[in-house]
This record gives sequence, structure tokens and C-alpha cells, in this order.
Amino acid sequence: MLEEFGRIVVATVIAWVLFLSLDIYWRLPRRGGVSGADAIGKAIAERGGDQHGGWMMGNIVCSPDASAGTLLAACGVFVAGIPGGIAAAILVYIGNRICHDKGYAGTSGALIATIVIAGFMQIGFFASDFIAGMVLAILTIQGISHTHASRLIGYFWRWRA
Amino acid sequence: MGAICLIIALYGAIRIVLERETLLKLPFVNVMNFGIAGLIVFILPHPLTLVAAAAYFVGSTLEANAIASAIARRGGK
Repeated sequence: MLEEFGRIVVATVIAWVLFLSLDIYWRLPRRGGVSGADAIGKAIAERGGDQHGGWMMGNIVCSPDASAGTLLAACGVFVAGIPGGIAAAILVYIGNRICHDKGYAGTSGALIATIVIAGFMQIGFFASDFIAGMVLAILTIQGISHTHASRLIGYFWRWRA
Repeated sequence: MGAICLIIALYGAIRIVLERETLLKLPFVNVMNFGIAGLIVFILPHPLTLVAAAAYFVGSTLEANAIASAIARRGGK
């Protein structure tokens, strides 16, 4: 029980670092990719959040990004091993194209997450840990406080830009 | 593990109801979608379930995108 809890905590931290660094690498906080993401970013900024962080959160809502790629890659590895992770990357790419996104963040997120999860499975982790971990990681960004999460992303974004 | 996804999906649903502004409901919708997509895979661990989870996730993301862009076109409220 305690061991399982520890694995989920480690998987959450890895998923959190993985999806935030990929999203910021692909410049998601730079602007709202579609009009809806732009509007969500401005609404978060109106409540006292950071504009760039808000745009990134809007982009996460409006198109499957690296966080969705990580989740679906974990699901794919859980049900079908590494080929499942690659299938997840293809599905995320199709999803990105449906949502008028170029699909770099989602597809690279799914492929890198597949490699990372396959690596951690060699040292005793399960793919299911990463499914729960990714759900917990997105909870911390999108589900607790928009103001504080957007300020945190904005801080990372200024560091990169 | 499925219980974690279920609890987070329910938490997201409660926050959706409590949030007043529609645009700011959407990040909580995103949290709920993550929870449910994970839950689908835990309920039915089969290779084809991945397609179901991806279809659910992409479809719901597209809906959130549509709602947000419709509100943006109406002037942001």
C-alpha cells in the first residue's frame, strides 16, 4: 500500500515535469492558439492570474497537448505495451489535427512519455502508476487554483523566454 | 488506481458546478476529462480501449474548444 503510494507520487512528479517542460518548450504560453484559448487566457488574467500562464491553460483545454499525450501514452503502454504508446501518439496527432493544432506538443509528449514510462517499468514501476500520476499532475495545474497555477507557468515562461 | 481517477473526475465535476463564469469552468472540464479517460482504461483493460479513451478525450477537448470559441465570438462572457 505504502509502496504503491510512493510510486504514484514519483510518477506524478515525473509526469508534471515532463508535460510542463514540453509545453513550455513548444511555446504554448506565448499566445492563445485559437480564439477560445485566447478568451480563457484573458478570463484567467482578469481574475488576477498571469496572462501567459492563462494562455497555456487555455491551449491545454482547447487541444490535446503534451499532458494529453502523456496520459494517452500511459494508457497505451498499460493496455498494449510500447506499441500501444506509439498508437497513442498517432491518435493524439489525429486529435491535434481535428483541433486545428500543428500537433508538435501532443505527439512529442506521447512519444517521449512512452520512452520514459518504458524506462521506469524496467525499475519496478507500472504504467498504471503513470495514468494516475498524470491525472494528479493535471489536477495541480488546471483544477486547484487558476490564479496560482497561471502565475507559476508565467514564472517558468519568463525563465524560458 | 481507478479510484483516484474517479475521485478526481468527481472533484472536477463539483468545481464545474461551483464556478460561475463559463470560460473558467473549462479547465475543470479538462480535469474531469483526464479522470474519465484514465477511468475508461482501468475499467476495461483491452488494446481497443485505447481508441475509446482517445476518442472520448479528443471529442471532449473539441467540444471545450467549440464552447470557448463560441463564447469568444460573442464577446467573452
